[in-house]
Amino acid sequence: MSNGGVESTRDTRKGEDGPSTSLGRPKADDFGRWVSKIAVAQICESVGYQGFKGSALEALADISIRYLCDLGKNASFHANLAGRTECNLFDITRAIEDLGDSHGFPGASEIGNCLVGSGIVKEIVQFVDTKEEIPFAQPVPKFPIVRNGKLIPSFEHMNEAPPGKHIPSWLPAFPDPHTYNHTPIWNERASDPCADKIEQARQQRKAERALLRLQQRLVRNGSTGTSASLVLDATEAGSNPFLAAPLQQGEKEVSEVVLPAKLSNEVSKGDHISLLDAFAPAIDAMKTGPSDRLDGEKTFLPEKRPSVQFKFKTGKKILGESLDLSLQRKGERSSTFFLRDDERDDKKKRAEFILRQTTEYPMELNQS
Amino acid sequence: MNHNQQSNDGKHDDDSALSDFLASLMDYTPTIPDELVEHYLAKSGFQCPDVRLIRLVAVATQKFVADVASDSLQHCKARQAAVVKDKRDKQQKDKRLILTMDDLSKSLREYGVNVKQQEYFADSPSTGMDPASRDE
Repeated sequence: MSNGGVESTRDTRKGEDGPSTSLGRPKADDFGRWVSKIAVAQICESVGYQGFKGSALEALADISIRYLCDLGKNASFHANLAGRTECNLFDITRAIEDLGDSHGFPGASEIGNCLVGSGIVKEIVQFVDTKEEIPFAQPVPKFPIVRNGKLIPSFEHMNEAPPGKHIPSWLPAFPDPHTYNHTPIWNERASDPCADKIEQARQQRKAERALLRLQQRLVRNGSTGTSASLVLDATEAGSNPFLAAPLQQGEKEVSEVVLPAKLSNEVSKGDHISLLDAFAPAIDAMKTGPSDRLDGEKTFLPEKRPSVQFKFKTGKKILGESLDLSLQRKGERSSTFFLRDDERDDKKKRAEFILRQTTEYPMELNQS
Repeated sequence: MNHNQQSNDGKHDDDSALSDFLASLMDYTPTIPDELVEHYLAKSGFQCPDVRLIRLVAVATQKFVADVASDSLQHCKARQAAVVKDKRDKQQKDKRLILTMDDLSKSLREYGVNVKQQEYFADSPSTGMDPASRDE
């Protein structure tokens, strides 16, 4: 609704939402104003209007609210003048006469006549008799809603004795002392930043060692099942038989496993495997996965080993490149994972995840 | 004596008329709802437990608004009768009677309420132009 622009009928007005059309924050009196707008619109419709300008309707509603308030003020004034607090019929009659003086009503100029026979009341009677009844369109709830505030409990309520004879017990109780008393805080844990750093570094090294051992295990798993030897920490080999060091070659008699020709070539290159070489076959395995599926063997090592070149460049480019590599690999791998997912062990899944992470950040590996 | 008797009779009539009217008010539902009237009367310090008096105030306000509206309607109709541009235009205007600020301010002036509004806000190139041509 704009000033002097859009027209609106009463029906469209009723469907509008208050907050959507009003500007600014909602005020406390908004509900009353909206209800009065609807009432005034109904009255205008009964008079004969078919539409209103928004500004005109608002002005008329505002004026009717002011008239109502003025009536009340005037009536209470007259009641107070007579020494009463509650208004009666004659107070209202006088108030209506006061407000109607400017326009005039029959008998306004007469003085000393009884209020019962007041001309203005007769006009109202006439109005009620002639006008047909138009009740308000919608039911209006009782407003404003009074909420019972949460009171602070008194001393009696809290069963506390008020500190001091001058304080009566029906007053609100004092807050708990812990809310306003400041007590010293004891630092129980002695923090030693040096020791903390050492501990942190130790844990990091432990994690890297475990990762390396895992990788070595995976690398040797495919080539020779019996010749693999793992270096375990002394602490790890406890009572758990699964964590015990595997038997060395020749300790126990086991039947020889005949490996196919392709795999026997890729014998372990020795105990000391550099980190990058250890990861290289796995990386290749990631790249060319599905070709091995047909053999019926689960293996990470491909038939052909393409040469892998690691180029180390300085600068921010590396991060971008590694991301691209990982993305490419992900694209290739997505189909393979879909085929093999059901048959893989959890261990292998985890291993792949670790590999992926390590290949994405080759620089970090170098530094560790 | 005669005069007194007459006035007494008159009073008696008035009394009865008034009491009848108040009784009839309970049947009549004013357009302004009771809750709204009670809210604004409570705001202005009016205290009355009687529902009939609340209804009386509501009816008085309704009468006031109806008077203002009917006066502005007269102004609107008079304006439409005066404007004889084109037979077609007049028929179009006759269709809808719109409550405008102009008519309202004219009728309210007789009641002692001064409502004045800005003629126009110059915020677009078409301000100040004839409304009919603006619509086109």
